[in-house]
Amino acid sequence: MRSAALWLVALVVFGVVASGCIGGEKAEKSSTEVQLTGDFTKDVISIGKALEQNGVKEVKFSAWGSGDPNSIMRVYGIVEAARRINKVWADNGINVKIVITDTHYVASFQDAYKEYLSKQPLGQAGDFFVNSYAFLPTLADEGYILDITDYAKAYQSVIDDFYPSLIKAAEYNGKLYGLPQDTEARPLYVRKDVAKKIGLDLNGLDEKVKKGEFTWSDVYYWAKKAKDEGVVEWGLIHRKGSAHPDLIQFIFAFGGELYDEKTGKLVLDVPAVYKWLYVEWKFARDGLLPKDIMSWDWAKQIHPTVVEGKTLFDIGGTWYWTEWQTKQYYHGRALKPEEVKEWFYYTLFPAGEKGDKPVTLSQPFVWMINSKAGQQNPKYDELKNLYHELAFLVVVKASDPDINAIHSVISAHLPVRKEAAKLIKDEKWLNDLKNLNLDLDQKVKDNIKDIVKATVNPINAQFLADVSYMLEYTHLAPAHPKYPALADIFKEAVDKVLRGEMTPEKAVDYIIQKVKADPELAQNVEIKGEVPKDWKFPQG
Amino acid sequence: MDRRKLRELSFFLSPMLLMVFLFYLIPLVMTVYISMTRMRNWNVERYLTDFVGLYNYHRLFYMFQHDPTFKAVIMTTIIFVGITLIINVFGGLALALATFFIDEKSASFYRLLWLLPRMSPIAVYSLVWYYFFHGSEIGTLNSFLMHLGLISQPIPWGQIVPWGAWSVIIFVNGLVGVSFGMVVFTSALNQIPKELVIAARVDGASSWQISRRILIPMMRWHLLYVLTWQFLSLLTTYPHLFLLVEWDLVNRDYGTTLALYVFNTAFGRGEQDQGLAAAAAVILSVIGIIGGFVTLKVLKFERMMKKPRGDF
Repeated sequence: MRSAALWLVALVVFGVVASGCIGGEKAEKSSTEVQLTGDFTKDVISIGKALEQNGVKEVKFSAWGSGDPNSIMRVYGIVEAARRINKVWADNGINVKIVITDTHYVASFQDAYKEYLSKQPLGQAGDFFVNSYAFLPTLADEGYILDITDYAKAYQSVIDDFYPSLIKAAEYNGKLYGLPQDTEARPLYVRKDVAKKIGLDLNGLDEKVKKGEFTWSDVYYWAKKAKDEGVVEWGLIHRKGSAHPDLIQFIFAFGGELYDEKTGKLVLDVPAVYKWLYVEWKFARDGLLPKDIMSWDWAKQIHPTVVEGKTLFDIGGTWYWTEWQTKQYYHGRALKPEEVKEWFYYTLFPAGEKGDKPVTLSQPFVWMINSKAGQQNPKYDELKNLYHELAFLVVVKASDPDINAIHSVISAHLPVRKEAAKLIKDEKWLNDLKNLNLDLDQKVKDNIKDIVKATVNPINAQFLADVSYMLEYTHLAPAHPKYPALADIFKEAVDKVLRGEMTPEKAVDYIIQKVKADPELAQNVEIKGEVPKDWKFPQG
Repeated sequence: MDRRKLRELSFFLSPMLLMVFLFYLIPLVMTVYISMTRMRNWNVERYLTDFVGLYNYHRLFYMFQHDPTFKAVIMTTIIFVGITLIINVFGGLALALATFFIDEKSASFYRLLWLLPRMSPIAVYSLVWYYFFHGSEIGTLNSFLMHLGLISQPIPWGQIVPWGAWSVIIFVNGLVGVSFGMVVFTSALNQIPKELVIAARVDGASSWQISRRILIPMMRWHLLYVLTWQFLSLLTTYPHLFLLVEWDLVNRDYGTTLALYVFNTAFGRGEQDQGLAAAAAVILSVIGIIGGFVTLKVLKFERMMKKPRGDF
């Protein structure tokens, strides 16, 4: 009996001690880690409480973004998300606050990437980094951005609202490394008044392009007619540089490929590249496209030539639509929305030749989280998981349909979420945005008010709705670490054929030699096909 | 050497030796080491021990051999360094001599003007010349010539190969470099005893004779220094060239020197390949060392180092 009592006491003592240990561990764990549930408010409160328990009153984050002047929501979206999270905490009596210490916004997304690359290892890069999906594989490979696959599982309903192709662009090796922020299409703009003068009927042209009935040979025919009749100075204007991969649309339009999913290698599709270079060469030789376009100045030459009606066609981007309304490209002033609508028709990038398909090209931007996010905050090593989870929730919030829709409307990029796409068709919401009658951070309002004034109107919203179908025809440039090197060589070759320094055939040889000259590039590029014999442009 | 003397020598030399060790020797060894690793994307943690031997050198030499534009790069380097060096050294010398013979106030103002290119931020300075030489009617030079009726069509200055492109890059860099020689030569001229010049004047010597017979021979050291220094810096410079090429003002092939070529190869194409860049830097350093050595030999540096006779 006595021994049984002793056993019982020992068991109770053991139980108490054991439960204490387990309980203690649980308490410890709960204060440095929170299991995300998918209920945003609940998760924010849990993280807030955990931070509060650990004595953290302020969480500092910085946001880095880049792009055209109208796309500043790429950083202010984060500011607004932080405000919304702070409000949840304030409403629930949690004394913690997110402070966005820096909104670093630069024009060149390539420069922004290089800066991030060099500063991330030193711990000096932004906690949030929005940039082209094309850089995501390298950043993921080097361990510079956070793998958010597990966090995202809890937020499947949010993920499901994004367009699947865009979520795919944010993945690498089967893991999710960011949330899409925006995307765009690259239409072929046609000047309406010029078309009328030369008898080009624009009614139903987009349908003809969709069906592949209106091809690049037709573009050539009308460009030449417009030039020959003295209506315009140029038949076609296009973008320049290799950072903006617009011209590779020709490869897809001629049925070519740029990436082989099976081998994971880039592809130099010789027939398609030859046809692309031939078209450029022919347009330049016939004086329809400036032979020095690759050295034209954006603000002083390219845009003014287009908006002043000196060209019939222009290969541009959807964002041009609002850029023309905010930048003074037209005889020293910006265009009015009505003028843009009245003067410009838009369609897909036509098929290269009969039998090919029309295309467009997108370069989704993705919100990525620094793998060292939150490191400028107290007890980083101990509370790393909390900071990372919080950073993820900030990005989830910054993807709110209204924030995404604001960005889309003011920058003429396409929404990445279905809910945002619905919102931009909502007249009442558009009206509220126009009057900035929305619940937004004052800092955000101050920074976007001029852009909102110039760009928010039914014409622009209608434009976005009208071009959304183009995403069904979109191609993405390959997200391959060696792609920028190949794109650079393409750019050099285009410049050489335009200037007449090389024939298209010689330029293809030049590309092949350049690819082969770098053993690492050569290993990553498959050269397919040959220069087609007896190929003619324009056809029939 | 006795112990006391050794101690004294160590005391006085140690700060300099430490500096040389810290800022010259260690970076040099590190560059050579990194050139033998797969270092890229600034990921020191991952690649510092990823040793690949001479792989980066093989890759670089393979590119040199097979790149269709490499010949243009070599030609451009020779022409650019050669002509810009002459402009920098003799332009600097001419400016220093010219300002030596005028009153100090005007001379200072004039020298300050020539320092402006050196003082301006590289991007701003390059942008000025970008708009000046732009190949369309928006270019200042083209617009000016068209207004005067001298040309009817704009001339794409930097795209006329090879001499158009070479002229632009030589002009832009020449203006930056000339002030360096000017400053060094001006200070050298101020060290020359005025009595010599006055005596020559009394004897009826002209400014040209004074310059040729007195001033220039007394500046041999400085000439040697400016020549060697400018040669090495022109061989390795690329910031202005980078911008002019990047903005498509000058032809890519004939606006790219070896220094810019290796920079673009290592950093310019979306990839940040520090291993390859380090290998290129080592090769450039070797070329620089050989070039510097040849310059010193040609200018008979050893003879200048001989102890003067009869002064002891």
